Order: sequence, then structure tokens, then C-alpha cells
Amino acid sequence: MKVSYFETGRYVLPPDLAREWPVPPAAYDPGDGAEAFRGMVDRVQFVERLGFDWISLSEHHYSPRILTPSPVVSAAWIAARVNTIKIALLGPIVPTSNPIRIAEELAMLDTLAPGRFVFGLLRGTTNEYLSYDLNPTEARERTDEGMELILKAWTEPQPFGWQGRYFQYRTVSLWPRPQQPPAPTYVLGTSAEAGAFAARHHLGLGVSYGNFDSMARATGYYRQQCAQYGWSPGPDDIVWRANMILGETDEAAENALNRRDKQAPFPVRAGLRDALIAADTTRNIAGQSQRANVGGVLPISFCGGPDRVVDQIRRAREQIGVGVLDLSLTDPGTGDMDAMMEGLDLFGRSVLPRIREI
Amino acid sequence: MTLQGDTPRFSEGFVEADGFHIHYMSAGEGLPLIHLHGAGGPRLTPAHDKLSRQHRVIAFEMPGFGRSGHNTRTSSTADMAETMHAAIRALGVERCNLWATSFGARVALWLAARQPTLVSALVLEAPAAIRPAGQMPPSGSPEEVARMIYAHPERQASLPAADLAGQAKTREFVMRVRGPDRDADLEAAMRRLETPVLVLFGTHDQLMPPELGRHYKELLANGHLVFVYDAGHAISTERPEAFVEVTSDFLERHEAFVINRVGTVKYP
Repeated sequence: MKVSYFETGRYVLPPDLAREWPVPPAAYDPGDGAEAFRGMVDRVQFVERLGFDWISLSEHHYSPRILTPSPVVSAAWIAARVNTIKIALLGPIVPTSNPIRIAEELAMLDTLAPGRFVFGLLRGTTNEYLSYDLNPTEARERTDEGMELILKAWTEPQPFGWQGRYFQYRTVSLWPRPQQPPAPTYVLGTSAEAGAFAARHHLGLGVSYGNFDSMARATGYYRQQCAQYGWSPGPDDIVWRANMILGETDEAAENALNRRDKQAPFPVRAGLRDALIAADTTRNIAGQSQRANVGGVLPISFCGGPDRVVDQIRRAREQIGVGVLDLSLTDPGTGDMDAMMEGLDLFGRSVLPRIREI
Repeated sequence: MTLQGDTPRFSEGFVEADGFHIHYMSAGEGLPLIHLHGAGGPRLTPAHDKLSRQHRVIAFEMPGFGRSGHNTRTSSTADMAETMHAAIRALGVERCNLWATSFGARVALWLAARQPTLVSALVLEAPAAIRPAGQMPPSGSPEEVARMIYAHPERQASLPAADLAGQAKTREFVMRVRGPDRDADLEAAMRRLETPVLVLFGTHDQLMPPELGRHYKELLANGHLVFVYDAGHAISTERPEAFVEVTSDFLERHEAFVINRVGTVKYP
């Protein structure tokens, strides 16, 4: 089992911040922002020393909790400051972006530090469509087309045009190209569309934030699709981004779970939430319709002391086929950095050495 | 000839040329746009109809196919280019654009290479001028053929009626004249060609993999490669709007078609 640490650019939230999205920019403190990004380097260097295989980054907008609207900028900042750990961009949000820009920027990263990157292509959560003014009903198709175009731009040796449904380019001709083949690339999502696309293009699949059964359904569908295309994914082809609460003992972990904030930190107003859910109707897990998650609290998938967590990780390998666990050990926005570093340290000492053979 | 959808504007005719009695369908006004069909024979599509709003579209049925009759004389696509040149001239056309689909691409390329003053520009739809080794023309029931030529056969409202006998005859003819998978003489002619050529491949083409497009870019000095997203082999049938937009723009502006002129002002 490989392990990844999900770095969110931890901005320490002032206690009196309004708990509603969008949070007014007036509440932002530039000094705290700079500190969040300085801390990003400390944390990534720390998990590198602990022996983590990857750190992962995400794209979120207008978010005090996850201060990284551009994973590419985060990645470039980090890549110059670590030595061995792989940097996974999980990932650029495709439907709200210019796919050629994504193709170019990822190719540039892959060229700056060959062999050090992992890429994930993401549809993005429903709320993200508000930031770049995307019609939620078009998100699925724009993602599929955008991904197809990114892969074409990476591999096509001659200049070409693209006559799409949502994107049109008369001239595409990338310089620099990514490494050939490009860095390991994942389609991110639990949907049938994500699984089928990844299978057709021989890409990995990254799933996130669900229970064991739903994640297993998503990866099972993906494996079934891969078989139809005549190949079989290995453990490294399946990534699971999940929350873990690790304690010195099971009891300590359960106490922490009970103390966890049960409310979404910055929910959108109920009327907007319901309208968003109504507009985003194509969400599914392996083809089974699923309500969009707008401002819901993300589940804790692993909880316990080291022994129990090791057992849970073994089960994740067996049931879901996951070979890379992308972990958050504390909720983003948690202000207690010492507790967070202690959690990472505990994982590095008491769990990591025991899951290598899983 | 199979009519698909509502194409009432097209009228039928025959022209005598090179000893053949050649069937064609035509509609529209302006500089003629000659269509040379694929190995399955001609089929009017919504793209023909849309293009005929801006061009005088003449869709030929090449000798050896359907109503243009049995053909034992033509021995190569270069021969066929001579015959089709005669047919075009016999209709009084002195300058035209060419649109060729799949099998028709070799005929069109020979025609453009040998008649540079006749052909203004050329659009190759899923061309079979360069074929994967051992690739065969599609055959089988309409459903089987549909699975080979469409990315989304389930979205096709209607399929042509089954005609296995006709299909076998056509196939025999195509196999006889189509030439080797890579034709050195044709490729040498392509290298010399100065005519603007638009090369279209569907991103989901199972018969002519879109990766073949790069060879056309390498061979054609004034060649332009465009991928039509989510289309199979039958691009103009599956994505007629996308096909017609890029084709019309290219025929109008040639290489300048790469310059975007679509306004993006939302509210002036």
C-alpha cells in the first residue's frame, strides 16, 4: 500500500468567521494566508521524511478551508522544495477550465520535474460550478470532452484542430509536451462515466469520500470496464482519498470522532443548496444515481488506534482494490497544527511500516 | 441512393462520362461542392442538406455502385479519378470544391493532384487514403455496420435497409480498385499537392483510427487536421452541425479558417 498526504493549504480560521458560503473576502487575513503557504512546505517536507509516497493537492475556489484555487501553482511551489516524494494534482477541475491550459500547465510541471508528478482529472463538486459560472447540467459532458482533448493534446505529434461539442480549437500544438508517456494520470470520480473513460484510455481511477461498499462498487465497475477493454488495473491504478482519525488507542480515536464538528463549516443557504442539487442530476456511483453532495460533511472512513486502522486498510485493499490511500488525518480548517503534526507522526511511526506489504 | 432525414431539395440526374452512365443528386447554388462517397455507397445526410444551403452540392454515385451500374473497367482509384473528372466536366463545372468520404479520399486526392486548376479545396472525411494494415470495408447487417461506423449507433434514428447481395457486389468492386494499404505513388502525389486540404477524423473512429491523421499532416503541405469529438467513422452523419461548420469555414477561408471570428461580447 502506498500512502499520500492531502495538503490543503491550511488557513487558520478566525473563530468569528460567518459560517456561510461564500465567505466575504473582507474576513481574509493576508498574513495568515502567507503563513498557510509557508506551512504547506513544512508539512510536505515532514511527510516526506516520514516516508509518505505522495502528497496530493486539490482545486477549490472561494474557500477559507482549502486555500488552493490553483493546484498547479501549489505544485510548482512544492516541487522546488522537496526531493523524492511524488506530487499528485487531484486535480484540476476540467469542466470549468480551458482544457488546453490544463494540458499545457501539467505538461510544464511534468517537464520541470520529470517522474515526480501524478495527475488527476476532475469533474469537481457541484458548488465549484458557481465560482466559474458553469451550468451544472453541462458539467458531465464538458468533463468528458475536456479530458479527451487533454489526452489528445498530450500525445498528438502533429498540430490539430478540435471540433467538439463544448470546445473548439483550430490549432493545438503543445510545447512543452509532457514526458512520453505522460505522468501517471487518473480519472477522478465514482461515476460510471469516470470508470468507463479511465478504462478506455488505460488510466487509473481515483475515488473519494464514501463508505467501503460504495467505493467498492465504483472500483468494481471500473475493473469490469477495464476487462472489456482487455486490460486489468493494478493496485497503483486505484486511489482512494479518505478521512482518517488515528489515535494512540481506539478509544482516543473514537473520542476525537465524537468531538468532530458535525456541521458543514461553510454551507450554502438551503434554497441555493436545493437548487444546485436539483440542477446537478447526473451524479452516480457506478451508474446508480446519487444525490449531489452540496455542503455536506465528508465521512470518516478510517477510525481507530494503529491496529484497528491497519486492519481497515487491509480491508480497503481487499474490498476496494485500492493501492494508494490519499489521507486527511484532520479536517481542513482545523486550527490545531500541533495535533495535526502529531497525528501524521503517529501514522508514520505506527501504521506506515505495517501497511507496506498490504 | 438512400435518403436520410428530410432532404427534399435534392434532385436526381444522370450524366454520360467516360463511357459510364453516372447517377448524381444535387441541390443548392454557388461554387459546386462535389461529394465522393465511401465504400458503402452514397447516402444523403443532414450534412448534405445543410451544405446545400451555401453550396451547389453534387453527390455522385461512382460507377460500380448502385444506380451507376456494374463496373468491370475501372481498375484503380486513379482510374476512377479520371472518370469522375470527366463526369464533373460533363456537368459544365470548371472550378469546384471536393468533399470525399473514406474510400472516396483516394479518388479525390488523385483528382486534386491531376487537376489543380479544377479543385479549389478538398475536405477529406475519415479518409482511407492511408489504411491500417489489413483493414477491410465494413460489412454485415445494417446493425453490424452501424456498430463499426458510428460512435453511438443507438442514436441513429434509422438505418438503411439490408441489401446483402448489393453489399457483396460493391465490396468486391471496392476490394478490386482500392489499392494497397499504403500507396507510394499516391503519397508521392500528396507530397506535391498544394491544394488546401482539410482532414477530419472522428475521435471514436474504429475503422480509420484518428492517429492516422498525423500522416496526412506529414504528407500534405497545405493540410489541416481536425478531430471531431465523439464521432465515429461516419462523421457527417453523427455530428452534422460540427462537420458542416468546419467544412464551410474551411471552404470559404482555406488556411485562414484557423482565425476565430466568432464574437464573444455578452452585452455591448
